[in-house]
Amino acid sequence: MKRPTLSPTPPDSPTTPMLDFVMGALSPLNLVLALVGVAAGTIIGSIPGLTATMAVAVLVPLTFTMTPDSALILMGAIYTGAIYGGAYAAILLNTPGTPSAIATTFDGYPMAKRGDGDLAVSVACLASVIGGLVGALALLLLAPQLAEAALAFGPVEYFWLAVFGLSLIAALSTGDFLKGMIGACFGLLIAMIGISETSAEVRFTFGTNTLLGGVETVSALIGLYCIPVLIDLVAKPDRHLKPPEQTRGFRLIEASRIMLTNKFNVLRSAVIGTMVGALPGAGGSIAGLVAYSEARRSGSKAKDKYGEGNPGGIIATESANNATVGGGFIPTLVLGIPGTPPDAVILGALLVQGVRTGPSLFSEGADIVYTFIFGLLLATILMLPVGLMIGRFAYGTIVRAPKAALVPAVAFMTVIGTFAIRNSISDIAIMIVLGIIGWAAGKRGFSASPIVLGLILGRIAEQGFVQSWTIGAAIGDLWGQFFGRPLSMVIIGFTLLSFLYPFWPQIKRTVMRSPRAQVVHRDPVSRSARLRDLVTLAIFGGVALVGLNQSADLNREAAVFPETIAMAMLVLVGVAILRLFLTRQVTEVAVDGSWLRMAALPLAMMAATFLFQRFGFAVTAVMLGLALTLVAQHDRYSVKGWTVLLASVVGITLGCIVLFGRVLSVPLP
Amino acid sequence: MKMKTTLLALTLAMGTGVAAAADFPTSSVDYIIPFGPGGESDITARLQQPYFEKLFGEQLVVSYQPGGGGAVGWSQLNNMAGDGTKIMGINLPHIIIKPQQGDVGFQTEDLAAVYMFHYTPDAIVVTADSGYMTLQDLIDDAKANPKKVIFSGSGKGTANHLAQVQFDGLADIETTYVSFQGTGASVTALLGNQVSAAWGYTTVGAAQGDKVRMLAVAMEDRHPAFPDVPTFRELGFDMVSGAYRGIAVPNSASEEVRMQVSDAIKAINAEPEFQQRMLDGGFALVDVGYGADMNAFIAEKAEGYLRAARSAGIIE
Repeated sequence: MKRPTLSPTPPDSPTTPMLDFVMGALSPLNLVLALVGVAAGTIIGSIPGLTATMAVAVLVPLTFTMTPDSALILMGAIYTGAIYGGAYAAILLNTPGTPSAIATTFDGYPMAKRGDGDLAVSVACLASVIGGLVGALALLLLAPQLAEAALAFGPVEYFWLAVFGLSLIAALSTGDFLKGMIGACFGLLIAMIGISETSAEVRFTFGTNTLLGGVETVSALIGLYCIPVLIDLVAKPDRHLKPPEQTRGFRLIEASRIMLTNKFNVLRSAVIGTMVGALPGAGGSIAGLVAYSEARRSGSKAKDKYGEGNPGGIIATESANNATVGGGFIPTLVLGIPGTPPDAVILGALLVQGVRTGPSLFSEGADIVYTFIFGLLLATILMLPVGLMIGRFAYGTIVRAPKAALVPAVAFMTVIGTFAIRNSISDIAIMIVLGIIGWAAGKRGFSASPIVLGLILGRIAEQGFVQSWTIGAAIGDLWGQFFGRPLSMVIIGFTLLSFLYPFWPQIKRTVMRSPRAQVVHRDPVSRSARLRDLVTLAIFGGVALVGLNQSADLNREAAVFPETIAMAMLVLVGVAILRLFLTRQVTEVAVDGSWLRMAALPLAMMAATFLFQRFGFAVTAVMLGLALTLVAQHDRYSVKGWTVLLASVVGITLGCIVLFGRVLSVPLP
Repeated sequence: MKMKTTLLALTLAMGTGVAAAADFPTSSVDYIIPFGPGGESDITARLQQPYFEKLFGEQLVVSYQPGGGGAVGWSQLNNMAGDGTKIMGINLPHIIIKPQQGDVGFQTEDLAAVYMFHYTPDAIVVTADSGYMTLQDLIDDAKANPKKVIFSGSGKGTANHLAQVQFDGLADIETTYVSFQGTGASVTALLGNQVSAAWGYTTVGAAQGDKVRMLAVAMEDRHPAFPDVPTFRELGFDMVSGAYRGIAVPNSASEEVRMQVSDAIKAINAEPEFQQRMLDGGFALVDVGYGADMNAFIAEKAEGYLRAARSAGIIE
């Protein structure tokens, strides 16, 4: 094995080696790399669609010229920064910047809505730093043991872990449990589109090649969360977020006080994040969801309810997802098996450097590993000042930006973010279509989060299910395979607890309707509202029927999961229709504002998607920006005001193209 | 006379050398991997990257277009510019099996394959503390307990899966194959004792070191990095197989461009340092260039893959 050994001290130096590794991490070059990495990662991660995986991938070629420990520190710093940066968009735009920030939206956005966005960003920063430190310390002190423990997780446990994640639906379906379940089934079915990983069958593509690769999770996230926010933004003239009365700094003292009252929550979530991160293939999104679920269950007595702006929700998610960074490096470095998708990229980069990760690395490459771990700790600590400052800037920009500039800028980000994931124009179209579906479904009381949960966890659940089924059938003990393994039983127990908990106080009443339904508006008399609900339910029923019909031609392995889901969806739709006739009550969100503007936004974006190849990206992007400025502007401007506005929209668009396309070499359409 | 011929040859050689250097690459080359980052295709592309720049003075820019087990990228390759600025990774058996499974947006013949540069030989991998010391131990167990020997592997209709089908036939045994998403997940299941063994590649042996033991490798000769591991042929099973990786260009590319790309990849393969890194990683180099060689190679491989896929019921 050839390895450039330019580290400051040889590993076998007679003095205390650990101190040398600390000094190695503190070398001026590594310090700069950690600082630059965290800052770049935070910025990239804050753009929905530019994930931690991509942030690391675009920088891989840069690392070829570095020593392995510096390369690792740079990539680790970018990774940890990107995971934190994902919180900004989640809090300020209700759109997770990276998939691991999904649960940050649940409480972050309500906080921003009521004017506490700055506090939420600071809390997210503190939680991320603590979570990151716990994860990195676990990597330093417990790596071999945790890697060993992670191996006890088999396909069945992954299946149950996904089901555990789905149990959050009970909590997330704002106001209407049945609709939440139907939405989750819908998300699960969307996840089945494309060539199946477990059976290699082509499913639900309806003959088009566009859907062969399936619906990309991140672009679906952007569509389902961000497009509805944009549509609602242009509909009405009010400001996006309540601006603060005066400049309030970082609100660090307030944030610290919140952290203190949540100290148990932080630690529990960080531990959950570390352990889930150490499970290869689970990743930050599941870690955040599991931690959120636990925080919610144990924190139900809090003043602010979870889901309505309790900072505890942000703390749980952000400390858990940053803990997955250190946690994910555990299997990556100890077993040579990537713990999370960004780890897969880092592993590849290390192989190119000639560093073999895996069992021998901790003994043979101790200098690299320990210098890196201290570097990661350092980067995490640097994230505190860097993150607070960038967070303050992000908050200030979003709060102060006039709507007519904010909408085009955010729409532009969703387009480049969606494209960049897998270089695909059609992903942009899919994203916009899902956005329209998400918006319409949201107005009908089907919130986006259960759909997203189904989409994200569907593939993991299906894989685990089919694998467990195959193994169970081979050993002739299906029941024992699914329910008999001790670890499975523990997860099943937690799942039941999490599913039933929201209903515990008044289980009877809640089967029909969950008690917390402030956001929705109920109309027990209106015939038209009932008709609207009936039509929506019929559409979902139709989707389920199509799913059943399409599954009929597939082989057993490919059909079993979607068939079960479609069947469940059909039953749920039936129950919902029955309930509609019995209770004559409807959960819906009123639509108000200009229909013209609301329709113009997705239409303009869709038109741009088809024009990119014709007119070139920069031209189309500027045109889209100008069009959306018109759609979003409600205030009257002077000529000078217009000039400034339009010039800044053009400037932002072109600036972003240069920044992302040239400087960060993110792929653009 | 002799002097003259030598001179002539020399001028010719110099002439072509200069011409090739001037034509390709004239700018940076986009190297699209139709899979996500971190897999074998990505890693080997990253290993090629620095040598391309060293040899030709231009950047090789790696990007990803994942989806549908490679189908998304391959179905779009022919829409790209055929001037030598776009090249894409291709994988066997994927490009042969996928189009047979339904409409995946491309046919095997649509892809202008110009070079196959390495393969990851199939190998049966067990954990270090497994009861299977030799391949015969595993066969005996499988004969005594049909279907109860469970293999993990990466994907369905993939090299791992087809190897399992082929070996079951050769050894006259019946085993169970569980598909995982990617080699990493498959190896995790192996290390966690969720399965009895894994159909993996020699790269798994290289990455996992003494945590695992390879029972046999599907190569013609033993892998230089694993001199103690027998080949299937030595043990009486005629099996040389694995996942082959190479490069294709859009089919609008001229014969000249195809040849130039082929020669460039060949030149990288000839770099001793590159060879050493590939071998250290458990990869095995092959050199199949553009033209008749490539056609014969793909035809021969296709026959074996399709036969195995049919008997596994993956295709009709």
